[in-house]
Amino acid sequence: MMNLQNDLQSLVLCLAQAMLLLLVAPMITGIVKKVKALLQNRVGSSIFQEYYDIKKWWGKPTMITPYTSALFKMAPCVYFVTTLVAACMLPNFFGGKAGFGDVFVFVYILALGRFFMAVSSMDAATAFGGMGGSREVYIAAFVEPVIMLAVLSNVLHTGSTSLSGMALRFDTVNLTVAGVLTCIAFFLVMLAENSRIPVDNPDTHLELTMIHECMTLEYSGRLLALIHWASQLKLLMFLMLFSMLYLPLNLPVALKVLLSAVAVGVVETLNNKMRLFKVRVYLAAAGLMLLLAIVAQ
Amino acid sequence: MDCFLLAAACFGVGILTLFFPHSLQRAAHWLANLASLVGSGMVAAKAWQVLAGDGVEPLVWGSYSLGVDGWSAIFLLLTGIAGVITSIYALGYAQSYEGSRLRLLGGMWNLFLVSMVLVLLAGDAFSFLLFWEIMAVASFMLVNHESEKRSTWTAAYQYLVMTSVGTAAIMIAFLLTGSASADFSFGAMAQNKLTGWWQHAVFATAFIGFALKAGLVPLHVWLPNAHPAAPSHVSALMSGVMLKIALYGFGRFMFSFLSTWNYWWCVIVMLVGAVSAFLGVLYAQMENDIKRILAYSSVENMGVIFAAFGCGMLLKVLAGGNWCLLGFVAALVHAFNHSIMKVLMFMSAGSIMHGTGSKNIELFGGLARKMPYTALFTLVGSLALAAIPLTNGFTGEWLVLQSFITLASTNAAQSTRILVAICFILLGFTGALALGCFVRLYGISFLGRARSELVEHAHESDGFMLTAMGISSILVVACGLYPVPVVQTICNALSISKEFAAKDLALQWAGTGTLAVFNPVLLLILVAGIGLVIYLCTANVFVEENVTWNCGTYPTERQQYSATGFSKPVRRAFDYLLKPKRQVSYMRKDHAYFGRQLSYKLEIPDMITEKLYQPFQKRFVGISAFLRRLQQGSVRLYVSYVMAAMVLVLVWGALYK
Repeated sequence: MMNLQNDLQSLVLCLAQAMLLLLVAPMITGIVKKVKALLQNRVGSSIFQEYYDIKKWWGKPTMITPYTSALFKMAPCVYFVTTLVAACMLPNFFGGKAGFGDVFVFVYILALGRFFMAVSSMDAATAFGGMGGSREVYIAAFVEPVIMLAVLSNVLHTGSTSLSGMALRFDTVNLTVAGVLTCIAFFLVMLAENSRIPVDNPDTHLELTMIHECMTLEYSGRLLALIHWASQLKLLMFLMLFSMLYLPLNLPVALKVLLSAVAVGVVETLNNKMRLFKVRVYLAAAGLMLLLAIVAQ
Repeated sequence: MDCFLLAAACFGVGILTLFFPHSLQRAAHWLANLASLVGSGMVAAKAWQVLAGDGVEPLVWGSYSLGVDGWSAIFLLLTGIAGVITSIYALGYAQSYEGSRLRLLGGMWNLFLVSMVLVLLAGDAFSFLLFWEIMAVASFMLVNHESEKRSTWTAAYQYLVMTSVGTAAIMIAFLLTGSASADFSFGAMAQNKLTGWWQHAVFATAFIGFALKAGLVPLHVWLPNAHPAAPSHVSALMSGVMLKIALYGFGRFMFSFLSTWNYWWCVIVMLVGAVSAFLGVLYAQMENDIKRILAYSSVENMGVIFAAFGCGMLLKVLAGGNWCLLGFVAALVHAFNHSIMKVLMFMSAGSIMHGTGSKNIELFGGLARKMPYTALFTLVGSLALAAIPLTNGFTGEWLVLQSFITLASTNAAQSTRILVAICFILLGFTGALALGCFVRLYGISFLGRARSELVEHAHESDGFMLTAMGISSILVVACGLYPVPVVQTICNALSISKEFAAKDLALQWAGTGTLAVFNPVLLLILVAGIGLVIYLCTANVFVEENVTWNCGTYPTERQQYSATGFSKPVRRAFDYLLKPKRQVSYMRKDHAYFGRQLSYKLEIPDMITEKLYQPFQKRFVGISAFLRRLQQGSVRLYVSYVMAAMVLVLVWGALYK
């Protein structure tokens, strides 16, 4: 009985944190956009613009192609839910223990969302959808080995695979070669995983550049709002992971998250989107850095 | 033992249906499949009892014996479960073979099942090899069932040749071990006196023999040809069970006969496994034939299983102790789970072939509307094979990754770290490519719009087939949500204490004392709870149905992405490995720019076949052609050979008296 109570308590605390992150997530994306706008000498929209967008989409009707199956409406929900569940697994501020999964469960629960999004991209029977799904799957094939290496490198450093254990044992004070290399590599792979420049461009619907946006092209209204919100949450989650498990700076986590969000904005301004088949070279570079880090540890 | 003999008798009844007259072929079909259903059920039930601690008296007959231990009981359980499910499926599916050797199919089906059970029961080298060969012959007959087709015929003979090579290797391994021990029973062979190089020889031959049966690269070439050629329920059993029996045999050699392991053996097993996993799934994504996709996916999963097994061996060599058995637990859990999900997927493939008459996914699209239940079950199977949480595919994957992490964190040597990093890279590729592969399979076949008329005439399968697929889907989800009984049973069988597996899978590492936890039930509660909220949010959303905007024209079904197109980025990214041969030609007769006809041909030859087997085959045929000159059928030539031989013998006799 005691056990069950503890479990439930932890569950509630985890959910509370996930909800909090969900509320903050659009603002973080807004900050990245604001940084980009300022660096480009524009005023840019308010950092709360994403909230207005979600509210707008939430009230709009959803347009659906008659060829679709039930999976089409399900996929955004699955994507949103899995991202939220993954957010529950992050190291908890309120002291709850995420007793249901470690870093591998975290990575693979995100894969569940990706599976549904990629599959549903083919449901509307258009060329764009399939293109997006195909490219997403291709990028994922190169991202995943690098993420695995990043996990391995961190596990060797901290000696734990649970996310809270890793966060507790992560040494933010001592700079080592391995630590710095892992940090840079994780930043690179984080950009790829979250469909940011230089791998993908989240702001355009141009057929030559888009990957993630292309998959979601057929969605509208509330379903689109769910997808965008989940993507924003995913970016925030990865920024948090980066701050807590990889960035060797002895600062408060919230500050580190803000700093890394600004860094994403700066990197996006300084770089162009690269060609689709250059991505493997980019990710191979990240992978090699991690291999060096693993050997150096 | 009585229970197993009774089961064998059931299978025997099934085999006897071979001799029914032609007019009773339907009766033979029902009797054969019911016999195999009952027999498999008994095997599964008894194996479960054995695993729960029930002892079984071995049956000894002279120097031959049949018996069960923990290691074989797991595989008997797996065989029994898969046998029950596929027999239910066969009740419906095999009916389509009415008029074309239906009795032979039923009889051979039972022979195949009973031979697999007996291989697992065999307690000495001779009976093992005997039943192993019966298994090979029965599966050859089943693969060759549709022998009117040229492709089936070639695939079946390729399988026969390859499997004979494998058996030869295994036979050498047994003879080497047996000749260094008192007799050829497994008990005596466990006390063998093999030394030095002989141990290496036994390891090499056993590994080659069993890796060939398991379909590890580069010995996998028979597998993607044989599985599509066989009837679907047979492919299900071959992939789900027969490949695992190779793991059983290999484990028998490793645990019983070669108790001290060389460091390099472990590394070889681990790396061959990891490379097979990667190449298997890479080729799976390139295929358009649904059963070839699944066959390559079997190569992948057997690769993962052997990589985990190798990791377990390495852990034992480097670390020792109870904890290091994690690698073996991971291998067995994944083998068990893969058996269920692969059976499910091959049954789905059979269902699709039954409903549409084709196995080329390029011709499908929108099948979910015509075959809703098959669509649901295939989705479950696809998720499992992509190793997604909440299905049993993930449990094995998680344990495999944990065993590699354990290896890296308990052994600080630089070389171990590099090995683990290499395996992590390969397994990372494997995981993501498997996801892509099954996204492609499911999305192209079941979603979107019909790409050919076949889909218009498609129909849902009958009750038996759907029941069998439903049962295995439930097992896939149940073992994913509550993997503890499976893991616990396997730990018992390997006689490990219950260190991990309480209500969730928690691994308390020996070295660091930190917890790695995976609790799927809590995960499910969370997913379901949040999912409910989302559903309530979107259920009453205002939906408008309209055709997609297509720049002013109506979209046609030809504008959808094709299966070949879908895998293009991966194909291009790995072109140095795959070496695709593509040919595009234009018909110039028509208009120069508009409406001209294009033809596109793409071929991806299996790299291993092309680089390894074909040169060998060419050389072999060359030598044979040279030798043929010696034997031309001319009597005078033969007389001169006899003459020459006699002269040689005389000269030799005169010189060396």
